[in-house]
Amino acid sequence: MGLEEKLPSGILLTNLERLVNYARSTSLWPATFGLACCAIEMMATGGPRHDIARFGMEVFRASPRQADLMIVAGRVSNKMAPVLRRIYDQMSDPKWVLSMGVCATSGGMFNNYALVQGVDHVVPVDMYVPGCPPRPEMLLDGLIKLHAKIQGESFADQAASA
Amino acid sequence: MTLQAWLTAAGGAVALVLLGWLALTRTVLGRGLAVPLRAMFVKPETASYPEAPRPTAPRFHGRHQLNRYADGLEKCIGCELCAWACPADAIFVQGGDNTEEQRFSPGERYAEDYQINYNRCILCGLCIEACPTRALTMTQEYEIAADSREGLIWTKDMLLVDPPEDGYDTPHTDREVRDRGLNYYGGLAVTPPTRKGGSFAPATAAPLQRAGAVVPRRELPLVPPGTGDAEGEPDGDGGSAGAGDA
Amino acid sequence: MSAPAAPGAASAEDLVTLTIDGEQVSVPKGTLIIRAAEMVGTIVPRFCDHPLLDPVGACRQCVVEVEGQPKPVMSCTVPVAEDMVVRTHLTSAMARRGQEGTLELLLVNHPLDCPMCDKGGECPLQDQALAHGANQSRFLDQKRKYEKPVAVSPQVLLDRERCVLCARCTRFSEQISGDPFIELFERGALEQVAIYEDEPYHSYFSGNTIQICPVGALTSTSYRFKARSFDVVTTPSVCDGCSAGCGQTVQSRRGEVQRQLARTNMDVNEAWNCDKGRFSFPHLTHAQRLTTPMERVDGELVPTTWSRALARVADAVRASQDVGPGRTALVSGGRLADEDAHVAARLARTVLGTDLVEHRTRFAPADEAPARAVLLARAGGAPGLTYADVEHAPVIVVAGLDPEEEVPVLHLRLRKAWRQHRARIVVVGPHLGTLDGIAWRRVATAPGAEPAALAALAYGDGEIAAALRGDGAPAVLVGERAGAGSLAAGTRLAEAVGGGVAFVPRRAGDAGGLAAGLAPGLLPGGRLLADAADRAEVEAAWGPLPAHLDGAAPVDGLRGILAAAADGAVDVLLLAGADLARDAQSAALAERALARVAGAGTVVVQDLALTETAARYADVVLPVTATQERDGARTDWEGRAQRFRRAVDAPELAQDDWEAFVQLAAVLGHRLYGSLDAIRAEQEQLGVRAAAHPLPEAASAGSTGAPSGDALLAVVRPLLLDGGTMLAGADDLRATARAATVGVSRADAARLGIVDGADVTVTGAGGATVTLPTAVLPDLVPGAVVLPRTSTEPPVTRLADEDGVVAVTLAPVAVPAEVGA
Repeated sequence: MGLEEKLPSGILLTNLERLVNYARSTSLWPATFGLACCAIEMMATGGPRHDIARFGMEVFRASPRQADLMIVAGRVSNKMAPVLRRIYDQMSDPKWVLSMGVCATSGGMFNNYALVQGVDHVVPVDMYVPGCPPRPEMLLDGLIKLHAKIQGESFADQAASA
Repeated sequence: MTLQAWLTAAGGAVALVLLGWLALTRTVLGRGLAVPLRAMFVKPETASYPEAPRPTAPRFHGRHQLNRYADGLEKCIGCELCAWACPADAIFVQGGDNTEEQRFSPGERYAEDYQINYNRCILCGLCIEACPTRALTMTQEYEIAADSREGLIWTKDMLLVDPPEDGYDTPHTDREVRDRGLNYYGGLAVTPPTRKGGSFAPATAAPLQRAGAVVPRRELPLVPPGTGDAEGEPDGDGGSAGAGDA
Repeated sequence: MSAPAAPGAASAEDLVTLTIDGEQVSVPKGTLIIRAAEMVGTIVPRFCDHPLLDPVGACRQCVVEVEGQPKPVMSCTVPVAEDMVVRTHLTSAMARRGQEGTLELLLVNHPLDCPMCDKGGECPLQDQALAHGANQSRFLDQKRKYEKPVAVSPQVLLDRERCVLCARCTRFSEQISGDPFIELFERGALEQVAIYEDEPYHSYFSGNTIQICPVGALTSTSYRFKARSFDVVTTPSVCDGCSAGCGQTVQSRRGEVQRQLARTNMDVNEAWNCDKGRFSFPHLTHAQRLTTPMERVDGELVPTTWSRALARVADAVRASQDVGPGRTALVSGGRLADEDAHVAARLARTVLGTDLVEHRTRFAPADEAPARAVLLARAGGAPGLTYADVEHAPVIVVAGLDPEEEVPVLHLRLRKAWRQHRARIVVVGPHLGTLDGIAWRRVATAPGAEPAALAALAYGDGEIAAALRGDGAPAVLVGERAGAGSLAAGTRLAEAVGGGVAFVPRRAGDAGGLAAGLAPGLLPGGRLLADAADRAEVEAAWGPLPAHLDGAAPVDGLRGILAAAADGAVDVLLLAGADLARDAQSAALAERALARVAGAGTVVVQDLALTETAARYADVVLPVTATQERDGARTDWEGRAQRFRRAVDAPELAQDDWEAFVQLAAVLGHRLYGSLDAIRAEQEQLGVRAAAHPLPEAASAGSTGAPSGDALLAVVRPLLLDGGTMLAGADDLRATARAATVGVSRADAARLGIVDGADVTVTGAGGATVTLPTAVLPDLVPGAVVLPRTSTEPPVTRLADEDGVVAVTLAPVAVPAEVGA
């Protein structure tokens, strides 16, 4: 992943971890993955009223190589699942996934053959935001909780989950 | 300064303002520059969300809550109508039987278990429309994101509101409920009808004239709180029976 | 009366033509208007009307307008007439107003507690209030209130407030089940359903009143507040409680059975079932339920894996085969599905190489299985005598059978035949049992002496013989307790009088076990092991049968198998759903055999629950699935095979019985079947023997052996609700069990100084005793007593000698002398 893998064992990186986590959490670059109505709310979150730039996240990247957070906004159909997984794989580590809305989280009200019943069947999800669709504040709430989560991470955890 | 100098300066200023106004309104570049200039005097639209969240619309559908009566009894009767109405199959209710010693709600039935799965809930509000006792309502709280699926399944203890100040947490005993004499269901139930705990009394054990008594509404005993009959009756008096005897 | 019975050949003059809502329709004479309306597709709203109950006109919801009549007419009580012009609520304002008014008045005193009522969601009153009712009630006063709920029985709860006085329950209990305990009391607004104070409503059919209640007045204790009708998964199924083969609906939620209902199957159970079928499902999740394979290590049963358990069984089988052929025995109880029995039969014959197989835990007479095989082949795979035949028979001879205790739904058919068609029921045997209310004549015999009486019935000039020779086809029903030769005698009787005959076993898997040839000397489809042609047919499907099975005389059923085991001639005993320590007709012989095999060989128990046999003797215990948890088929006593489907998931490690058999065969190097379909295909291919064998000659009577001295010969009758493992956990149901009593004839009671109701000590073989209250039965032949089979502790099977004969002595329990008096 980076620095932590190169270090010999036994070196503690507490303060460095904090610094790195702070940097990571305050400059998450989302990969756009708007799949349905939730994407509209995600766009609204990027707009001036909610202004996701306040969290250093205004650069929604169209290229997975430049993103480290995937906001899965909307229903994931069985056809979209491999695409989603490929894009996730193309993102560089460390990376996080936020499942926005109940369709992405569990299939929501679409309990049928066409939809993946939760994007966590395809990629590991770090934060679930309920709602149908979630209002921008709910997404921001999820992002803030994700930031807190990132700030509590240790390199060792990341190495284990990567 | 002479008056002429004043006039020249004023004329120059007017010309400058005029030119400036013309430049800002009549030229492409100026019209573009005017926007940030104007914006300097407009209150920012951005909501500073986590620090000072804006209020939601009055009828915004946030997470649910389960309500209580003034004495702390739960309004939910475990009827599962919310679960039936739910288009996303997000609600699970398990009914249970109130007993004399363990009363959770007025009437016979209560919700032994109540879960809302916010992984599926679309916050549409059909459940609260279906609720016959207004036990289930929606709050305007929406900060419920969690980092696991389990964390989004809300159980009864999370959904149930705290008991009111002068009420108690459930379960209550029938004696307590009767002594309070509160009217539930808008006065339709005086005391909760009770089941003879576990004993299989034959139907005819109930005195027929008493059991059949039809009590006009005005004769319903409306016992003010605190003045309830301390002795009470040893077993359930079936609501109307007390008035029938009187 | 209900719709006319004989369908099809209704000639033109039997038809009545009338007009309903402007549509002309011709219906058979006597049809009620409400049924005629159904034929043109108009459902007139109703509460009290039920096609299987007599019309009563109690609810007044079904009013229609008939031209020429000044007032509305109740369509559920008035039969059609020629040229009648009927206008229902669809076309007549008068009918509509009448119905709306009735509904409003019904709702005046009906509490609107639908949200908490168990009927909510499947309630006719709710549906009709929604469809035809007013939005607003004009009733402003307090509604009627009663104490609620009242427990009519441990299973049935009554909410009198909700009752609309349709009298369906009271009519059911009076007309169908004949237990008139529910009755309407009082009058006017106070009219209510109630029970007699001294006698609680104990009926084997009480659950039906819950199901037919058109409101939530009668609800069930076990389903109370458990789920809602719209929140359950409904799976059609077939009951496994007895050989009646009732259609059943299993309703489950989150993979757990919530309740079971009767499924309408007019050919079998009509719309009814018994409480055992309805309420016995808690055993699926009872603590006794087996969830994992176990094996005995150092005297203790410890959990193990399927592969280890099967390997241990296979090793034991191989070791036994090294000693000699045919040293393995397979006994199945009455629980197996048809496919299981078929696989078991093949496993035993081709893999284990043994003829020591049996599907009955009773010691059946030696000629019973061959005689049933003959009947099976004669019927050609179709049902022989059917419920409908029984219903329409003018005379029904019942021998060795107590239908209400053994096959309850057959009892309902007998009652229907008696009530609606004036059928004459002739009971042959030592006592009348529960047929006492409807029997026409009784031929008293000593226990086991039924065949002679059956043989004599058709001859002579008595009234029974005259009735049998009269019009119509009589039906002969032979039960498990009829003595040796009864079935052959009954068959000859039926042949002589042009009627039909059927053997009515008690257990659900009995008919399927016989059809699979799961009895010594038998092969599938009514074939005999001793017959070369039969063997060839079976070998074509199964491959060669071991040579040593050829020509060997079949052992005497379970008694023979257990005797062989007790003598050390059996090394491996496979028990599939058979709790021999409790259920074998002779517990003494079973204990001896089990102890011997458990000591020197291997006892394998494959069952739902940890039975007494499993706990005490089993070396290997295998968990299997129950009916509700699997696919399969069962054959009822008629010979009607009905499939059932999986309704809920089984415990994770449980497998179907046939899967366990197939896997054991695989470990032993034989590939049997890959799927249920493969088994079914083979069953179909084998079919039944084209031409039936001749009936076996009646064994010499008198094998019953009159007991010596003071001893009385017992008729051991199973009660419907007893100590069986499939009733475990159904406490409400077991609370309605009939009290275990010892039935004593008047003469013996007088001779022994026993009074009705007093406790007596019953001493059987080997000094085992049971203490029971006495019931002096006036209809019992002297010298016999009636004992319940497994309702007592210890079960009566412990009182039997090693031949399964229960000869007992009775001694009144000394009552402590009254103080003072």
